Amino acid sequence: MSTHHHHAKDFLFTYVFSQDHKMISKQFLVTGFLMGFLGLVMSTLFRLQLGWPGESFEIVELLMGSWAEDGVMAPDKYLALVTMHGTIMVFFLLTAGLSGTFSNLLIPLQVGARDMASGFLNMLSYWFFFISCMLMLASLFVEGGAASAGWTIYPPLSALPQAIPGSGTGMTLWLVSMSVFIVSSLLGSLNYIVTIFNLRTKGMTFTRLPLTIWAFLLTAILGVLSFPVLLAAALLLVFDRSFGTSFYLSDIYIGGQVLDHSGGSPILFEHLFWFLGHPEVYIVLLPALGITSEIISTMSRKPIFGYRAMIGSMMAIAFLSFIVWGHHMFLTGMNPFLGSVFTFTTLLIAIPSAVKVFNYLTTLWKGNIVFTPATLFSVGLVSTFISGGVTGLILGNSALDIAVHDTYFVVGHFHIVMGLSAIFGMFAGVYHWFPKLFGRMMNNKLGTLHFWISIICAYGVFFPMHFLGFSGVPRRYYTNSEFPMFDDMLDINTLISMFAIGAFIGQLFFFFNFVYSAFRGPKAPQNPWKGNSLEWTSPVEHFHGNWYGEIPHVYRWPYDYSKVNAQGEYVYGEDFIPQTTPLGEDEKDGGH
Amino acid sequence: MTILVVVAVILVVIVGSQLLKIAELRAASKGELIYEITEKEGKLHGLTMFAGFFVFMGFFFWQMWAWYGLKLPVSASTHGVDTDFLANLTYVIITPVFILTHAVLLYFCFKYAYSSTRKALFFSHSNKLELIWTTVPSLALTVLILYGLTSWNSIMTPIPEETDHVLIEVTGQQFTWTARYAGEDKKLGRSHVTLIEGVNATGVDAADENSKDDKLVKGEFHLPVNVPVQFVFRSLDAIHGAFMPHFRSQMNCVPGLKTQWNMVPTITTEEMKKITGNPDFNYVLMCNKICGAAHYNMQMDIIVESQEDYDKWLAEQKTFIE
Amino acid sequence: MTTITMENISYQEDIRRKTSKPLIWIGIVSIIMFFGGLTSAVIVSQGGGEFLTIDMPFAFTISTVVILLSSVIFHFGLISIKKGNYAVAKISIIATLILGLLFIATQYMGWVNLYENGVYAVGAESTQESSFIYLLTALHIAHLVGGLISLIIVLVKTIKERYTLDNMLGMQVSITYWHFLGALWIYLFFFLKFIIA
Repeated sequence: MSTHHHHAKDFLFTYVFSQDHKMISKQFLVTGFLMGFLGLVMSTLFRLQLGWPGESFEIVELLMGSWAEDGVMAPDKYLALVTMHGTIMVFFLLTAGLSGTFSNLLIPLQVGARDMASGFLNMLSYWFFFISCMLMLASLFVEGGAASAGWTIYPPLSALPQAIPGSGTGMTLWLVSMSVFIVSSLLGSLNYIVTIFNLRTKGMTFTRLPLTIWAFLLTAILGVLSFPVLLAAALLLVFDRSFGTSFYLSDIYIGGQVLDHSGGSPILFEHLFWFLGHPEVYIVLLPALGITSEIISTMSRKPIFGYRAMIGSMMAIAFLSFIVWGHHMFLTGMNPFLGSVFTFTTLLIAIPSAVKVFNYLTTLWKGNIVFTPATLFSVGLVSTFISGGVTGLILGNSALDIAVHDTYFVVGHFHIVMGLSAIFGMFAGVYHWFPKLFGRMMNNKLGTLHFWISIICAYGVFFPMHFLGFSGVPRRYYTNSEFPMFDDMLDINTLISMFAIGAFIGQLFFFFNFVYSAFRGPKAPQNPWKGNSLEWTSPVEHFHGNWYGEIPHVYRWPYDYSKVNAQGEYVYGEDFIPQTTPLGEDEKDGGH
Repeated sequence: MTILVVVAVILVVIVGSQLLKIAELRAASKGELIYEITEKEGKLHGLTMFAGFFVFMGFFFWQMWAWYGLKLPVSASTHGVDTDFLANLTYVIITPVFILTHAVLLYFCFKYAYSSTRKALFFSHSNKLELIWTTVPSLALTVLILYGLTSWNSIMTPIPEETDHVLIEVTGQQFTWTARYAGEDKKLGRSHVTLIEGVNATGVDAADENSKDDKLVKGEFHLPVNVPVQFVFRSLDAIHGAFMPHFRSQMNCVPGLKTQWNMVPTITTEEMKKITGNPDFNYVLMCNKICGAAHYNMQMDIIVESQEDYDKWLAEQKTFIE
Repeated sequence: MTTITMENISYQEDIRRKTSKPLIWIGIVSIIMFFGGLTSAVIVSQGGGEFLTIDMPFAFTISTVVILLSSVIFHFGLISIKKGNYAVAKISIIATLILGLLFIATQYMGWVNLYENGVYAVGAESTQESSFIYLLTALHIAHLVGGLISLIIVLVKTIKERYTLDNMLGMQVSITYWHFLGALWIYLFFFLKFIIA
């Protein structure tokens, strides 16, 4: 150990420009949560408008300033909030925050590597993400306000500042921020894939990888294949906006003026956008599914049921996600035959999804379930995955999509199946791997409280939205009061907003628990959940390299929980057998 | 006020931290670890989960009871009746799935909560089970897909030229709709944004023979009952969504493109007033693609009436050339 | 407790050996998706309606020859190093570098030619097709600049004679990327020739 301490330099390279995957993981986690908190605040603000349209709120004026004169937000600023909420939640919290945190933390630890393939690229990945966050936040303060064309930024709305003020500087910053974000995501994905393929420890075959790693691998592959296409789409949009090309624009009359764009088509943008956009749903969801698979198995003290079927279904979902993007565009006037094809491929996703749900249920069956907050959130994920998944059968069927397309039915569906499932997976992961991240334990009681408030309020917010959808209430409406047919729906909206406020308060318990436990929580033992996978064989304290001495070798799959011998006794006296334990003579690997 | 709130928040945080520390110390004094879940606590969690099932289902059925009446009235178009049936069929399949899987999930949480006297079953795979839950959803899906695709194809087939029908072009622009009837010749004249000038707000080509008898209306448009309607949609600026929820009809309006939609309205506005029991009922065309600040107020009324009333109304409208 | 092996140089070398090539290959995959997205955008938008025909400038054909030649010469340089012939290697890498710059020059000539024939990148008289020609070629050049930078690094290392038979990873990575750029150009060339022009 060096006796010279260069404190400033040490600090800089330990906490700021760290190349250690564990520190980068924490950086992603904290940045992601801070962004997520902003997204949450935004949603609570626009829920105030929707629940009590036109009413003045001091808090709205305080937070939104000139965007909300007299405490009532302006209609175009409502759209800015909706857009920023969507962008932040989908990309910054659930893509970078979720995948960035857990891929970084778990990939080297669970495959048995000292760090990522390239620590430098990994560090760049975080800092690009950070810059992208800053740019996105900066866009809130520019003239005209933040991007307001919805998180899908369809042109021409996003291309023409005449159409909505947010399509000026705000949209430019959005596009620059997303481009930087894409670079960050690609650098991350590159590292994840290569680390999993090339840096596994001795004995860590692909069929011995924990399901988390499989999920992160498929997520990274989806990212590498789909994010460049979004970059291409964004680039063409930049050219249309700033250099007068006509990729997406044609025959436009706006603000009393005919624009000289011709020959382009906004549909092209929709195709490019959703070619990323749909895989993006699974980029968000797969890590959460991987995390829960691991937690449900560990905490029910049972091997995950159908390990290979779980991998197979994740692969099927990942593959199908590339050939279903058209289901977002059934009503854009595209060829009806294509619509049929997309209906077929979309509904096929139900099969691997159903397999996953039934496998979760069977894993719990005859288990010995230890209810940590992580377990609670995992069960919550299974519930939201079911509740949100079944309505996919309505939306994915083109004939039925006509009636509910872009109504609150859609908002309810995707928030439950993608938003809630992913964030529950993320919470589960934080509670479960907190000892690994910070060397301390989180408080269970607060965690339990957080879970119950979250799930009750989340269902309270999103379940009634389906009923709004049945009544034909379109999404992204500043208020429904312009249509007499929606007058009866105000009560539902008010109820939803009350639950939204409840959900917001519930998250404060989590943030408090998180910060308190990170600094003052009880010290964690090395393997608090009696887990099998490799990360629990590394010491609690963090240092670059993960293991003192040699990296442990692996001899079995990670799900040997409650394995008994012919006499009905636990094989090694405990209900878990770490992957580093060599196979006994009459033992078979892989749950046989 | 603000200072008061800040002080209160700080106090809450301090008190919260102290409570957590005390709880931890108390557990330590009893020789326990605060983060370990005792068997009793575990049982309680399981029980809460199971109780949660009944609360959740109660909430679900309460919503059905309270809000079922708020849903859109019976479809006022022929294809809508068909898709509503398919939607109901889908609900008949997914609602039991939703309830049963939750029952199983939350019952297992209760039944298999941790007990130190029990061993979990080492059960890692079963090809038979996997096969069952791959096949059963596949079969259900086959039905839904086949039915859905049949409906979809019949909805998306344009009305043949020779069939008697009404031809209407609907143009969206921020934040208003304009409808144009094809007139006597049943042909819409050419239109282009470069021709927009003064009152000619949608750019109809006056030089085109076919436009002379076209009729433009704003605010509301009328449709004859039981006659197929062929819509052509245009947009002048952003993408708009032409959504007519009562007819289960929706199509995007895309600048630079002409999109199409067709339907057969089957219930007149008057009849629908009786069905809904609402004397102020009106069919409406609304925008359903985010298109700018006043997106939430981009509407046009639709009046469905008998052929005679419709003819009378249409005769009163001015032709484009006038 | 034994030492932490992270700071150990041979360990890091080992990681580099294991991961450099996969990293560049997956990077290449993402670039393929990027250009795949753009070129399929051309095809999607042509499904819509009329498009004008554009004559491919002859300079683009020269570009093709130049970039193919540069790949061959670069490869020759690699073989020379394997044989320990640094003099030849230096010359081949310098030649590759010059050919790379020449490629950019011919591309520029192509643009001038297009512009003179009334094919504009931006503005009212541009069409989707004309914009795409400029965009695709310019983006290819942007990727080529990365290749040139790696070439310069390789050149410096060759001059310092750093490469040995079992330690030429940097050069192999650079050459993989360079060949890919050549292949990408050939794809774009035929795509432009047959789909747009």
